[in-house]
Amino acid sequence: MFGNPKVKGPVFGLLAEYEDGNALLDAIRHGRSAGYERMEAYTPLPMHEVFEALGDKNRLPLLVLFGGIAGAVTGFALQYWSHVIHYPYNIGGRPLNSWPSFIVVMFELTILFAALTAVFGMLLLNGLPRPHHPVFDVPGFEEASHSRFFLLVPAYDPEFHMERTKQMLSATATVQLSEVPNP
Amino acid sequence: MSATTPIASDIARMQRASFLVAAVAGVLLLIGALVDFQRFLQAYLVGYLMWLGPTLGSLAIVMLHNMTGGKWGFAIRRLLEAGMRNVPLMAVLFLPLLLGVTQLYEWAHVEHDPIIEAKRAYLNVPFFALRALIFFAVWYGLSTAMLRLAEKYDRTLSIPALRKLKGYSGLGLVAYVMTMSFASFDWGMSLEPHWFSTIYGVHFVVGQVLSTLCLAIVAASRLKRVEPFSRWLERSHFHDLGNLLLAFVMLWAYISFSQFLIIWSGNLPEETPWYLNRLGFGWQTFAMILVLGHFAAPFVILLLRRSKRNARVLATLAMALFALRFVDYYWLLAPAFHHGEFHPSWMDAVAPIGVGALWMGMFLRNTRGRPLVSLQDSKLLQQLEEAPSAG
Amino acid sequence: MSQPTQQPPGSPPIIAPGHTISSVSDKITSIVLKRHTPRGWYVGFAISFALMMVMLGSIAKLLFEGVGVWGLNVPVGWGFAIINFVWWIGIGHAGTLISAILLLFRQEWRTSINRFAEAMTLFAVACAGVFPLLHVGRPWLAYWLLPYPNTMSLTPQFRSPLLWDVFAVSTYATVSLLFWYIGLVPDLASLRDRAKSRFFKTVYGIFALGWRGAATHWERYETAYLLLAGLATPLVISVHTVVSFDFAVSIIPGWHATIFPPYFVAGAIYSGFAMVMTLAIPLRKVYGLQDFITMRHLQNMAKVILATGLIVAYGYAMEVFFAWYSANPYERGMAWNRMTGPFAWSYWALMLCNVITPQFLWLKKVRNNVALLFLICLIVNVGMWLERFVIVVTSLSRDFLPSSWDTYAGTVWDWSLYVGTMGLFGTLLFLFIRFLPMISIFEMRTLVPHSKQKAPGEGEAS
Repeated sequence: MFGNPKVKGPVFGLLAEYEDGNALLDAIRHGRSAGYERMEAYTPLPMHEVFEALGDKNRLPLLVLFGGIAGAVTGFALQYWSHVIHYPYNIGGRPLNSWPSFIVVMFELTILFAALTAVFGMLLLNGLPRPHHPVFDVPGFEEASHSRFFLLVPAYDPEFHMERTKQMLSATATVQLSEVPNP
Repeated sequence: MSATTPIASDIARMQRASFLVAAVAGVLLLIGALVDFQRFLQAYLVGYLMWLGPTLGSLAIVMLHNMTGGKWGFAIRRLLEAGMRNVPLMAVLFLPLLLGVTQLYEWAHVEHDPIIEAKRAYLNVPFFALRALIFFAVWYGLSTAMLRLAEKYDRTLSIPALRKLKGYSGLGLVAYVMTMSFASFDWGMSLEPHWFSTIYGVHFVVGQVLSTLCLAIVAASRLKRVEPFSRWLERSHFHDLGNLLLAFVMLWAYISFSQFLIIWSGNLPEETPWYLNRLGFGWQTFAMILVLGHFAAPFVILLLRRSKRNARVLATLAMALFALRFVDYYWLLAPAFHHGEFHPSWMDAVAPIGVGALWMGMFLRNTRGRPLVSLQDSKLLQQLEEAPSAG
Repeated sequence: MSQPTQQPPGSPPIIAPGHTISSVSDKITSIVLKRHTPRGWYVGFAISFALMMVMLGSIAKLLFEGVGVWGLNVPVGWGFAIINFVWWIGIGHAGTLISAILLLFRQEWRTSINRFAEAMTLFAVACAGVFPLLHVGRPWLAYWLLPYPNTMSLTPQFRSPLLWDVFAVSTYATVSLLFWYIGLVPDLASLRDRAKSRFFKTVYGIFALGWRGAATHWERYETAYLLLAGLATPLVISVHTVVSFDFAVSIIPGWHATIFPPYFVAGAIYSGFAMVMTLAIPLRKVYGLQDFITMRHLQNMAKVILATGLIVAYGYAMEVFFAWYSANPYERGMAWNRMTGPFAWSYWALMLCNVITPQFLWLKKVRNNVALLFLICLIVNVGMWLERFVIVVTSLSRDFLPSSWDTYAGTVWDWSLYVGTMGLFGTLLFLFIRFLPMISIFEMRTLVPHSKQKAPGEGEAS
């Protein structure tokens, strides 16, 4: 959450490349059983199983719920304040608190606030925008947005050890294993 | 699924109980009718229209499912077909209303009312009776056609049979929506002959589908407790049914609120009395119950994924919602009979129970001798969903 | 090689056989990244751009002289501006519907058309926005519609449906933009990684926000996308409901009808799907996208058009029946005037376009004929414009007082502005096709056999 911790030293982590999603999944399970907790996978398409295998949490729905409630409250408060407190005025014999009329704007603001929370909450939790990330320096990583699958074991993983991790990753169906340079 | 399984004896027991309740309620209502025929008719109309809901709603959902396909439909299909077979029952039960039309409907006995006179070409007893005849003819024709076409398709599994089923379902839905709309104008809206709302028919159609979904969910969850259905009915069936229920709860609220806001804002003397009558004199309690129980609570509960995937939770909710369907009909119809007051009668409660018990008994009888789920359905699933539709 | 669980014999697939993750990615990115632009693109863009210039000219004339250049008069205070506004907004709705509702219903066939439909929504909303903005008379003061602290110590009138419109349409525009942009981010990353020129690499890179396809990102991304879909669905319905309230909460005969909300929403979907088809049929031909926008898409959309067309017809039927049943002389007079009055031609043309024409879609032969589908959709587009014309003009031109009756016709500036917004729409659409992937690449990857992964939201619809 909120981006990743800083890494000292010349190597940011180890990146293994896979040809398909199932090989990646096997590799993640293998890594998890070896005690790696902070791995990250890169896939060209959303794969819920990969996320589950990595064992992370997703708190976005709760945030969006609060966003929606805030929108509803704001909507009603704005209208009530406008027409009952700030500028009470009889228009067409309607009551000052014309709640049936207020429901529409309340509804729209509920949706607006919830949608903004969903988008910006997602970006915030993902630590985006982040134009540059060390994995971009690995040659061939551009395939992650095309057709290849990658697994990163970052140096900030408590279990990370140059040699042992390399051995662990070599034992999987990886087609290429690279060191990610730390800028 | 044959007559010897425990579920069959279960059904037989429930059926006997239903008919017993219906008989007791029938005797009570007969006494009530002899004492005060008009009051009986008023209570009976609400009970009748409430149970017309699952009868025609079953037909509507079956036709909808024929066209869209989807796993959810196969879970409840046989139950819906049993519901559809109650159309003749509802036609018979309509007779008291037809007999009492002059006492029940203001337009049938008031004279020298210029507004009613202006619509006399529509609101008159012979045409009313003729329309009712047409409605029941259409509904009976549709339900038998659907049963026959589906049965034929189940037997042959041929693509032409499927095309025919889909094509007739499309036309059938059009016919159902049109006839039910006009039936709702005749039987419900014309109770207050000066008032009108163009969305009234849609409100009834949505309400009927909602009633049916509630009953179907309750029935399916009961089936789920028994072998072999427990293996076949999955969480995802209930999830889909829950989503469908949510959609219709929202649709109901959308229609109800739109109508209210438009009439409230327009504030015309020919329209607002309808709401004034229903938002005072004690009726506002029912309105509040509907807002909270028929929309807010089910909406929140059905938004949660967990409650949709739990058959027991979903069935409890559906049961409560079905009870609230009565409140909806009662609030919609009964205030027409007592302008500016709230006078409940014991018959208001006995009539829906009596009609319901009879309906339920016949419904259970309709399920007997037929499989409760079609074993072919699992094979049909793909073909129904994927095959190109009828021409 | 087709989807084993989805594919019955004999029905057209949603993605043509033989594609792999890699080939799908290549085919779609290459439309954007390859240097060669088809000649048709230049022609289309030039025509659209010229029409957009017409729009700008018309606006210049309007701002210079005032709204008097339009055909408005005293009983008919709402004319082309509101007709065109409702028409464009309605067209936009199909985009949201395809991307949001079909996502929630797990209809995989939407994947190849949703990006395009969302873009259509955005551009249609932009076109729609032009009209009320200009109709206020002094567009530079349009911000008065928003609640903000001001020296006049005034707040807007929240009981007015026109203000609801401000909130509904601006929320709609915002959410549609977010939905569209968020859907684009992973594809922008693909373009960034594939682009050869440094300039495009940088531009796509900036808008891709540094997307790198991390699994944890994907997860939150999918949740956000699904939640947006869940929010956009009631939103899109509310927008056209509010548009219908603009009419229905008034007490004008022909406008004050409780059926208006669902009937307007159905009409919007109807015209919107017709517009998607109108655009998609030529596009798939020019760009060779028959593999991705298959016959199955066209057939399904034709069915949606038929279904919504029937709902719209139900609305017309109820209007006529209740005009009579109301026994209200104004209501009855309005209906009679529609059918036999000076604008009767528009009413009967509307019936022909919107009620009769779609009935041909009952026939499978028609649904399988691309040329006929295209023709029917064009007619429906015209019909939906006529519908708003009938509603706005016939009701307003016959006021309660016969002494204030008048007639109405659009002037050359009305027409030039209307046609000009089509230029604006076309210009934006052509730019979009040229510079952004018009089909969602990452979602198409999920449809490829052997990638068993789910499309966003699939199996999680709630």
